[in-house]
Amino acid sequence: MTPTGTTRPATSAVKTISRGHHDAGANPLRVILRAFLTIWSVPKARIGVALLGVFVLLAVFAPVLAPYGATDNSFDRSEDMSAAHWLGTTAAGQDVLSQIIYGARVSVFVGFVAGLLSTIIAVLIGLSWGYLRGLAGDVINFIVNLFLVIPALPLMIVIAAYLQNGGIGMIVLVVVITGWAWGARVLRSQTQSLRSRDFVTAAVFSGESPARIVFREILPNMTSLIVGSFFGASTAAILAEAGLEFLGLGDSTTVSWGTMLFWAQNSNALLTGQWVLLFAPGLCISLLATSMSLINFGVDGLSNPRLREGAQR
Amino acid sequence: MSLVSVQGLSVVYEPNGAEPVPAVKAVSFDLDQGDFVGLVGESGSGKSTLGFALTGLSRPPARVCAGSIIFDGVDIAGLTPSQLRVQRHGGFAMVLQSGMNALNPVRSIRNHFFDIFAAHGHVAGRDREARAAELVGKVELPASVLDRFSGELSGGMRQRVSIALALSLEPRLMVFDEPTTALDVLVQHAVMDTIRELQKAERFTAVLISHDLGMVLEVTERVMVMHDGLIVEDATAAEILAAPRHPYTRMLLSHYGDPRAAVVEVPGLASRGTERATNVAQAVAGGAPVVEPVVEPVEPVVEPVETTPTVRRREGRAAREAIVVSGVSKVYPRHSRRDQPVTAVNDVSFTLEPGASMALVGASGSGKSTIAKLITGVEHPTSGTITFGDLRIDTIRRRQLKRLHTEVQMVFQDPYAALNPLHTVEYALTRPVLNYSSLRGRDARRRVLELLETVGLTPVEQFAARLPHQLSGGQRQRVVIARALASDPQVIVADEPVSMLDVSLRAGVLALLDSLRETWGVSMLYITHDLLSARLVTDQIMVLNQGSVVEEGRTATVLQNPQDDYTIRLLDAIPAPRSSAPRNPS
Repeated sequence: MTPTGTTRPATSAVKTISRGHHDAGANPLRVILRAFLTIWSVPKARIGVALLGVFVLLAVFAPVLAPYGATDNSFDRSEDMSAAHWLGTTAAGQDVLSQIIYGARVSVFVGFVAGLLSTIIAVLIGLSWGYLRGLAGDVINFIVNLFLVIPALPLMIVIAAYLQNGGIGMIVLVVVITGWAWGARVLRSQTQSLRSRDFVTAAVFSGESPARIVFREILPNMTSLIVGSFFGASTAAILAEAGLEFLGLGDSTTVSWGTMLFWAQNSNALLTGQWVLLFAPGLCISLLATSMSLINFGVDGLSNPRLREGAQR
Repeated sequence: MSLVSVQGLSVVYEPNGAEPVPAVKAVSFDLDQGDFVGLVGESGSGKSTLGFALTGLSRPPARVCAGSIIFDGVDIAGLTPSQLRVQRHGGFAMVLQSGMNALNPVRSIRNHFFDIFAAHGHVAGRDREARAAELVGKVELPASVLDRFSGELSGGMRQRVSIALALSLEPRLMVFDEPTTALDVLVQHAVMDTIRELQKAERFTAVLISHDLGMVLEVTERVMVMHDGLIVEDATAAEILAAPRHPYTRMLLSHYGDPRAAVVEVPGLASRGTERATNVAQAVAGGAPVVEPVVEPVEPVVEPVETTPTVRRREGRAAREAIVVSGVSKVYPRHSRRDQPVTAVNDVSFTLEPGASMALVGASGSGKSTIAKLITGVEHPTSGTITFGDLRIDTIRRRQLKRLHTEVQMVFQDPYAALNPLHTVEYALTRPVLNYSSLRGRDARRRVLELLETVGLTPVEQFAARLPHQLSGGQRQRVVIARALASDPQVIVADEPVSMLDVSLRAGVLALLDSLRETWGVSMLYITHDLLSARLVTDQIMVLNQGSVVEEGRTATVLQNPQDDYTIRLLDAIPAPRSSAPRNPS
């Protein structure tokens, strides 16, 4: 910050945001609404939010939206697209459209749960690692580096093969174990740069405990990084889930986009001309991943009140 | 015909999704070849925006929306970027405040020069070495710096290099935007001398943009004063000194004084003679009841809140204590094998009596901020002892820090960095109140509002709800001071509390610190490089040079009658427009 301060925005646009409540973060609903509006104000992120919304609605209202049951195999096998079956049927005689709609449940669930869990681990480890010094920091450093150098896909395959057919829970676990380290490292370096700021020293002078400094002073300043790392982890989780199931390492009786690909591959769908069987779940996976990446364009304003007031993009 | 003719120039900031803000409003002036003009104003006055527009560097969201800049017959306001780039050779150049950070750390200084020569093709290959050496010679650097990298040069040397780089295109107009503000006081003076010599020798037209009217008056022949996007006064330096016409100029001028004078006065701060101030300090010290040190002073007894803002809650607290520093040294271990260990503080001893105010002055690297860290327990000294009552600060543990900080608080240098941008003023003040007192709920809130009133931020309810970016620099510093007062401390360590603020705001913050000290009986360690402010608010002074105390005593005595060379050099570095008027050639 320079004393000349040519680019400092005029403080004339002062608004009194809150009256009489004791804490800026006291009203979680308001905070979430504000965060949503911040993301919504960026056009790219708006597309992402809309896309993600469609998939979430699909997942939630699957029983209402799907024309048939997900495992209903009472139809003719390997039918082409028709009015009764918009995307045709599988080699086992199930309706593809219904499977796609039900499959969104697994992908969205795994994306959110695995993304959330690995972000929570990344935040806890990254922040304490960044704030601590000395031996404890070195130990965490060693563990994180260990997880970073192990190639993720082989590790996932090994763990998944070991925990045979554990279903969705197993996949979430595998994705979380292999996915938290990168986020932890990013958050740690940001913590280290924030901890030397004057306002952190000032908090020490205000008599704050280390935990409070980390979680109330430092953490809110990294909201955009954390949200960004959440969407990154979710994307990775969705892709990993589909990948594992495609390889046949999940529970192949559940209906998900990954198992659809697995069965389509098994029944040589491409050779029989049923490209929709591969194309539809593949497109859904990539669209869901894309929506998350698009939302990530909008998270920059989250921890910068100045950007929030709409100064620049 | 004049070299530059600016007619009705307006620049507006047009941020996305916000109201456009006019920064420069219909400004007109002419510059002749060889003029040295100062452009003075406080932050937000539009002076840098004008400088950027003059050199064709305006970038979105800034936009030149009206008027013309005729440079040597061509209107540069309408040129495309590529036409502008050609114009830069023999045209105009700019030296920025952060110009010293503009050097690429992985390219040698020589490469920086060669890049420019290659881009403009005006120096033949075999002459480049000689030309580069000549240019660095002009800014009083040896030719050997060409082999070095920016990381190996000091701030002053880097700023000189960036001036030499700007010179390499033989500009006829040079705009210096706060060229020395980021530098150490003593280095500032030397770099400014270089700029002045250079301008005389090369006869380019120079515009010196600065917030420091005193320095500009010393250096330039003609001064334009900017306020709120307008040039409110445009006159020779001598005229402005003798008879400033605009009230704003008069206000700026009134904030300069000579710390060596017998009586020093700036608006808002009463004249401070040695005698009066010392008496007050003694009265406060003597008036304090002498009580045995209480072992557990952390939780004060709460009495019902019925207070005026200045009532202190001292009941049940430890008696006032002096901070005694004796024989303290701080040595930072070397980073690599080639480095020498750095002795930041060398055998410093002093006593900060209750209610006293002491200045710690020195240039950067003199160890004054290290002493602040040692006293507040942030770092431990290598040797020596620091005591506060029965508390040993030099070996303090983290658990005891909270106890120390109930009595010793700090005011930070940079009000823009010392407040968490995401927390409201109320949150920032509520936390220490909750941590250091047993006030809760509505009582705590009342205490917070009281603190705001104490530092003059009224209406308090409104300020409590604001976020830091909705406050001006001076208001932020008041919040920082209020937070330091929240624990009702005995000692405040103020580390350059006004150096980041505009001149007109400084006096207010200093007056606040001074009045708090007198009404609340807080003792203050005032760390600064600015001897004028030290003279205004302190009774005792210690001058530090490279970690050692070179001079100490009564502030008025030391500054009127400095003994050590270093003190004299610090005093000489202060721009003093009034006393320097006769020296000015114009």
